[in-house]
Amino acid sequence: MKRVIAIACAVLAATTLFVACGKKGSNELVIQSYMSDEAPKQAFQALVDDFMKKNPGIKVTVNTTAHEQYKTQLMNYLTAKEAPDVLTWFAGFRMQQYAAKGLLEPIDAVWKDADFPAAFKTASSYNGKVYFMPQSWYWWAVYYNKDVFAKLNLKTPNTWDEFLAVCAALKNAGIEPIAIGAKDTWTAGGWFDYMNVAVNGGAFHQDVTAGKVAYTDPRIVKTFDYIADLAKKGYIMKNAASYSWQEAATLMFDGKAGMYLMGQFIKDVAPADKKDSIDWFKFPIVEGNAAYGVDTPFDGYLVPAKAKNKENALKFMAYLGTKEAQELFCKPLGRLAANQNVPVPNADAQRGLDMMKGAATAMQFYDRDAPEEMAAKGMNAIVEIMGAPDKAAEILAALDKERERIYAELK
Amino acid sequence: MPARRLKKSALAPWAFLALPLAMYVVWVIVPIFESFAFAFTKRDSIIYGPVFHGLANFRRLAGDGQFWLAIKNNLLWLVFFVGIPVPLGLLVAMLFNGGRPGSRLYKTLFYLPMTLSFTIIGTIWMWIYNPDFGALNTFLRSIGLDALAVQWLGDKRYMTGALIAVGVWRQVPYVMILYLAGLQGVPTELVEASLIDGASWWQRFRKVILPLLLPATIVAVTISVIDSLRSFDIVYVMTNTKARAAEVLASYMYSSAFQYADFGYGSAIAVIQFLITLVFILVYVGDVLKKESER
Repeated sequence: MKRVIAIACAVLAATTLFVACGKKGSNELVIQSYMSDEAPKQAFQALVDDFMKKNPGIKVTVNTTAHEQYKTQLMNYLTAKEAPDVLTWFAGFRMQQYAAKGLLEPIDAVWKDADFPAAFKTASSYNGKVYFMPQSWYWWAVYYNKDVFAKLNLKTPNTWDEFLAVCAALKNAGIEPIAIGAKDTWTAGGWFDYMNVAVNGGAFHQDVTAGKVAYTDPRIVKTFDYIADLAKKGYIMKNAASYSWQEAATLMFDGKAGMYLMGQFIKDVAPADKKDSIDWFKFPIVEGNAAYGVDTPFDGYLVPAKAKNKENALKFMAYLGTKEAQELFCKPLGRLAANQNVPVPNADAQRGLDMMKGAATAMQFYDRDAPEEMAAKGMNAIVEIMGAPDKAAEILAALDKERERIYAELK
Repeated sequence: MPARRLKKSALAPWAFLALPLAMYVVWVIVPIFESFAFAFTKRDSIIYGPVFHGLANFRRLAGDGQFWLAIKNNLLWLVFFVGIPVPLGLLVAMLFNGGRPGSRLYKTLFYLPMTLSFTIIGTIWMWIYNPDFGALNTFLRSIGLDALAVQWLGDKRYMTGALIAVGVWRQVPYVMILYLAGLQGVPTELVEASLIDGASWWQRFRKVILPLLLPATIVAVTISVIDSLRSFDIVYVMTNTKARAAEVLASYMYSSAFQYADFGYGSAIAVIQFLITLVFILVYVGDVLKKESER
């Protein structure tokens, strides 16, 4: 028995020593990433390889977690005693709420004002300090299958009436007019952002995400009337709630569905031979309201206050902000870089940039502008209304009860 | 010195038990009390330190429609989890008990679902339930029942039923195993005696075998009850936790705590679920202890 205890003690001591040694070396950098889709994952790996080449002393470990799981894990990453050094994340409210709690490390030391537009700095800062390194941004628009439109002789619509006419023509041809993978409820968040801004304007929408407007407000009800109308007319693909966002995208790639309100990253999942059949148009104008809004979420990185290797983390953050690094990541993905010195990668991105410049309102996205619980429940409600448009009033009333509580708890 | 030897041998089991007991205390008992404490605190308490919130979380539960929906769904799980697998498992066990040719093969086939994890089962059934090209709807359409080919996991009316069916499918072989083991304990002399006395098949089953299977039945029922109350894996895997119509207590607890970052509220749900489950566990443990002491 004594011997067993002695051996156990020895093993314990050895492991402790081993762990302690592992801690000491500051040649490590641990990155936790949500880039689990193949294309961005590869682009990010190229960045990491380049960084390691430039900093041969630093050993980088990248841990990748699927997007939805990552969101539920973030609190663990931020509050763990052994926090990762760099995390992928979103700008705006979703970052600022953690900065407010002191969970993030300021990165002012490596921030260069000359590199980024002022709006990007605002969304990356909290209380005068920068906490977030923006990397790339993309736009949301109505993506459509060019081949299908050409076959049916359809023109891309500018107004809501034209949009409805396109839907009707697609439906007549036996093609689902609007694809949406509502099993991933965030796909519905885009519909709420665009529809609400188109109907009620950007300032009103900002009040909504800030929790100042009731979901039973007649103006919001009107927004949902438009969405419910699409559902009642059968323009939203059937069985939407059984499809993930990629599965629904496949329907459009295959010409079984016509249009899909989606982010530019839809191109990441399009098969090589279908990428050129996919194009996009600006969300249609409703009731002659020409001032439009766009969802232009930008993604980037932050450093937890409890990061183990902060020095290396800041080195990496400085690298991520450089023109070269941003170009290396954005170019293969056709995304726009946050660093304004990076040339626009292609004509498509130029169109996206122009659309953003012409917009009266730029949004991050419903689930980034609103608190996560509000957004999660809001998006559930939108999906529910798409499935049961007659119950909209009841669903919105229940949602508003949640809004009152959630924003009261935030104070 | 016999006295000292006695002492030593009394200590030995504790020496062996020390480590597992310590782990059990640290990872099971302590967290249970911690979640009780968290249930009375505000949403961020687990991260920023506890802020006492009184009974607010429980008051909110009382008026939360989603919570009552979860309770209702859990009750449905309970009813069907006991109502179907127990008699069906008994039937299958009766059919394959004894040396009928091929019974070993059938027993194995029936038992196979038990060997799969819920995650795998959920993924397989998600494909079976796919509304457009899943096996179920393809079959229904092929026999002309197009009207029944619905969106099993996307329509809130069918969701819980579709999930329970999967759970039941996996539970039947479990109950079957319990009964097969129970049937081993039925003395053949009694069965033979009833045969000689001219009892019919039904009389034999009803009056001889079933009463002797009572202990197995108690185990099967309590385990099914407890399994139904902790159902989470299937709901989580098959609905992406987003399909709120299929909410059960465990999934609501998970999304409240981890998706909405309201750990106080999540803990309150956990406490309720714990108390409900505890009632059934006490019944079960009480029964086991009674039997132990009878031995």
